[in-house]
Amino acid sequence: MAIKIFFPTSCSAAESGLLIGRWMEEHRSAVILATLQFPFIPASVKRHLSQLEQVTGMSLSVLGTWSHSKAEADEKMENFLGELSSIFKHQPWLRMARETTSKFWDCRIESLEDGASEDVVLVYYDQRKVMLSELHSASEHSEIAAMFNTVAKNQLLFANDKYDEGPVRLTHWQSEGMEASIIVELGKQASVPMCAVLSFFVSAITSICSLRVLSGKPLSFLWNKLSTFEQLGNRLENLRIISSAEKAQDHVTFMSSLLAGYIRLMSPFIEVILWYIGLSACLGLSVALSILSDIIALLTFHIYCFYVYGASASNTGVNMTLHVMYFFLLQLFLGTLLFTILLFLLPTTALYYLVFTLLRLVMIVVQGVIQMTIDLLSTLPFYALLLRLCRSYRLAAGVKFQMLEQKSGKPLRLLMQINPLPYGQVLQTYRLPSRRCYPKDSWGSLCKKLFIGEVIYPWKQKDKQH
Amino acid sequence: MEEKEYSDIYGNTITLQQQSYSDTCQDFTITSSKVSIRSLTTWTCVVWIIAYVLFVCTQQTAVLTVAILFSIVGLLLYLHLVKVDHESLLILGSLGIQRTSTYASGRENTVFIEMCRVQDVVINEGISMHRVNYYLCLLLKDPSDPQAGVSQVIPVFQSCQPRLDCLVEVYRSCQEVLAHRNKVAS
Amino acid sequence: MPETVEDAGSRSAEEPIHPPVSRRSLLPVSSMVHSRREGRKPCSSSNLSWPPEPAHAPRRTHTICMVSDFFYPNMGGVESHIYQLSQCLIARGHKVIIVTHAYGDRKGIRYLTNGLKVYYLPLKVMYNQSTATTLLHSLPLLRYIFVREQISVVHSHSSFSAMAHDALFHAKTMGLHTVFTDHSLFGFADVSSVLTNKLLTVSLCDTNHIICVSYTSKENTVLRAALDPKIVSVIPNAVDPTDFTPDLQKEKSNKITIVVVSRLVYRKGVDLLGGIIPEMCQKYPELHFLIGGEGPKRIILEEVRERYQLHDRVRLLGALEHHQVRNVLVEGEIFLNTSLTEAFCMAIVEAASCGLQVVTTKVGGIPEVLPDNFILLCEPSVKSLCIGLEKAIDKLRRGTLPSPETIHNTVKTFYTWRNVAKRTEQVYDRVAKETVLPISERLERLVNHCGVVTGSIFALFVVISFLFLVFLRWTTPDYLIDIAVDASGSKAAWTQEYCSKKKTKNFLIK
Repeated sequence: MAIKIFFPTSCSAAESGLLIGRWMEEHRSAVILATLQFPFIPASVKRHLSQLEQVTGMSLSVLGTWSHSKAEADEKMENFLGELSSIFKHQPWLRMARETTSKFWDCRIESLEDGASEDVVLVYYDQRKVMLSELHSASEHSEIAAMFNTVAKNQLLFANDKYDEGPVRLTHWQSEGMEASIIVELGKQASVPMCAVLSFFVSAITSICSLRVLSGKPLSFLWNKLSTFEQLGNRLENLRIISSAEKAQDHVTFMSSLLAGYIRLMSPFIEVILWYIGLSACLGLSVALSILSDIIALLTFHIYCFYVYGASASNTGVNMTLHVMYFFLLQLFLGTLLFTILLFLLPTTALYYLVFTLLRLVMIVVQGVIQMTIDLLSTLPFYALLLRLCRSYRLAAGVKFQMLEQKSGKPLRLLMQINPLPYGQVLQTYRLPSRRCYPKDSWGSLCKKLFIGEVIYPWKQKDKQH
Repeated sequence: MEEKEYSDIYGNTITLQQQSYSDTCQDFTITSSKVSIRSLTTWTCVVWIIAYVLFVCTQQTAVLTVAILFSIVGLLLYLHLVKVDHESLLILGSLGIQRTSTYASGRENTVFIEMCRVQDVVINEGISMHRVNYYLCLLLKDPSDPQAGVSQVIPVFQSCQPRLDCLVEVYRSCQEVLAHRNKVAS
Repeated sequence: MPETVEDAGSRSAEEPIHPPVSRRSLLPVSSMVHSRREGRKPCSSSNLSWPPEPAHAPRRTHTICMVSDFFYPNMGGVESHIYQLSQCLIARGHKVIIVTHAYGDRKGIRYLTNGLKVYYLPLKVMYNQSTATTLLHSLPLLRYIFVREQISVVHSHSSFSAMAHDALFHAKTMGLHTVFTDHSLFGFADVSSVLTNKLLTVSLCDTNHIICVSYTSKENTVLRAALDPKIVSVIPNAVDPTDFTPDLQKEKSNKITIVVVSRLVYRKGVDLLGGIIPEMCQKYPELHFLIGGEGPKRIILEEVRERYQLHDRVRLLGALEHHQVRNVLVEGEIFLNTSLTEAFCMAIVEAASCGLQVVTTKVGGIPEVLPDNFILLCEPSVKSLCIGLEKAIDKLRRGTLPSPETIHNTVKTFYTWRNVAKRTEQVYDRVAKETVLPISERLERLVNHCGVVTGSIFALFVVISFLFLVFLRWTTPDYLIDIAVDASGSKAAWTQEYCSKKKTKNFLIK
């Protein structure tokens, strides 16, 4: 199996020195984290690495040497680098060499246990992105996950670099672009939250403006209405219409007049209610919607009552067990009579049931829509979605490799890139847990329930029964 | 790099490019046939003729606008979401298997599967619509529980749908790489 | 008793069932391309392990496609018939595939023992596991399968299966040889039978050959479908005698147990059983009934048990798995079959194979199944059955019944799958020599044979389906369809190794 070397792209321009990283024996791969520049004192390098090890709990070592020759190969330098393996003992010992003019690097592996020569696969990676990204759906045996973990845990290594004063001079992602302006980076970092904050303010201001307009009007309207005695007269009139059932021409007109009266009776209250709902919106849209949903449920309680009455009247309690019974003639006659009466009453009951079932269904649909909106508001992972949009490498589904130009005799070159998590999976992974349970009925069973007359419940009632 | 011509199950010509970087690193790319001008013209004409007939009936210019928008948006969506230009399978013996499909608009969809999850590469047959096709698929296992058998099946070359002869070609090379891996591992 | 619709191929507890040795394996085709996998586990069914045919002059091998709506995991007589027959034909060197519809999540293509390939097609199931038919919608898929598997003979099973008729229809359109096996008896009187018979007439009038399971069934089919008796053969079902063996360790006791294993439905004569139980129980205090099976008529038996307080003497076991049937059978001494109609009663062969004395109604093909000394035939009435039972009990007490071992040893030679396969093969050989009717003759035959109205309607269908086939051949020409890698037959990719191993092994034993 070939040996894989994960090499940070930021180090490719570094001067000659040592390669610092971690050797993963089980995968036979080396993760290079940084290069160490001359001059250094071997003892202090070892001390520095052991200090880091104590903090991160992950073994770090000098894996080999790195030579970056500007012109043709330097004999003396080569020899010197070769001798370093006796100071920092490590198996295997990597010898990487690069010439500025050539794209292809040399990689040699020395002091393998069995002494056999091995193929080398060189994998370039972007250290900063790998450090910041979180790998999803990777198992513990995964090599890529181990590699990501190594880079992420050694953040401390990246704390000081070659521009700092210190015993060791390292090159890694932090040192890349240090020469360029920091302000550009800062500006880039800040632009997204700034935009978000600005847009939030703008939206807040507009919503407050609209709230005033909304809430101002009903208030004055309400004072207007309540201050008159005429209002009281209207109420009494409506009550009279409702209670005088015998005057209604037939069942349906009675029903409609009943409903009309009810709405007229409720109209001023509806305005108050709307006002309070508007007021509660300052606690958040979901609170307002929840209150709206509850109030709708309260106001339509009578429909529910009528519906349950109708449903239980039409639901005859069909029991599937079969019993053989013997009756007297008189009993049979009586039964037939009762059955006939029920048969003639069927259209009436059916109409009653139909009207209230339809009303009930409308109510359920309205409440369901409100519930779904609340659910969406309270479970949508805005932060994760924004992260995916602006910093797609932060949430990684995995990696992808790109084959770079190859030359025979040189190690295989690959570029490792981060494969961002698809939006669907972001939603799935970061969706906040919802306590809502969705109806388990299919459309078919719903229709069947409606036909038999079983009481249908909206969402939440279902799991209370279980 | 080798390039061979095959046909897909509908009889269109597809090309298989096989690039071998080393013993353990192979890249297969199947390029499907391009969007033919004839079918494109046919579809556009059909949409526009329908729109014109509707326009003559209703005398509403909005119909024509909608038809133009519809055909343009439809074409864009088709190129971006449906039409796959080429699919490739990259086998890195020591790392894993990568499947890439590139859409006509340049969008890429890549999945990389690590070698520790790959159980085998096989040719299977399945029923789709009114056809029974052969397809190449990767059998994945759960690395934490290798005894459990196949945990997932990932079909490859699902858009190009090459015929059996082409699949056997790819399959043979895949098996060589896998055999090489197993030999070294054992 | 009215002769009513009968299905011997129904999925019931008393039918012979041989669960296939199916690994739920995802066996890839590529394993055949490379033949990497070593020999599969041999088939457990014992009747497959007979010594192979000596290699005489090369026999003609066929590529056979068995089509039926009924196949495993569904359980029943037709299912096990198809499975066992296919296995025996594979062992004889033919290539066999099975086409059925999808059962739950079992869809797609599976391989069973010895490379028996099964296509579970995603067709809509309409009623009682039978698919819906329009005579056209399944043509594209079936044509694709017939072409890619290079089928030469299409063998359909069960007249209840819409898919079987569809396949016959399409095969004839495509010019393939067709064989049909009828597993059931039908009536002539009621509306549904009249309709089904008409359809059967249409479906079978141009089929090359028809196989029936008994002479009664042949008579019935010839009458129903107005066929020429020459093209109808009788090949009875077989039973696996190793699954049904008498219990030799059984203790002698005073108790007499009558076993009934049947679906509890009207046509199995449950009403008769309800009359027999109280009468016999009153007469013989040591008599017990053991009833296995489930069905809508169970309530009758429960009522009888309730009314006559027979809870300790009548045991209702409910639905039985196939492997339980033998253990239930050997608990009794007498087997009672009260069927009102039966094409070929497998249940009594199984019971006799277990060494039980069989008392049965004399209906349908039952009298031809077993010789007279193993069977007591009665009229389908309570009185006659009671007399029959009394006779059997009397014999049992006097000890004049043959011993279970002798019954078993005699019965096991009667019906073997090997024999069935051999005879079916002869049918294939004969069919392969015949010519398939061209479309003009087919139309003529339909109009002449099936009446003007029906004939014309179906002739129209034939024409439409022919045009559809031409259209399909235009959109997907045959040369674009990949030829499947054979799993069985002469060119089998992965059973050859195994077969050769098996042969050498068998010769070594010899």
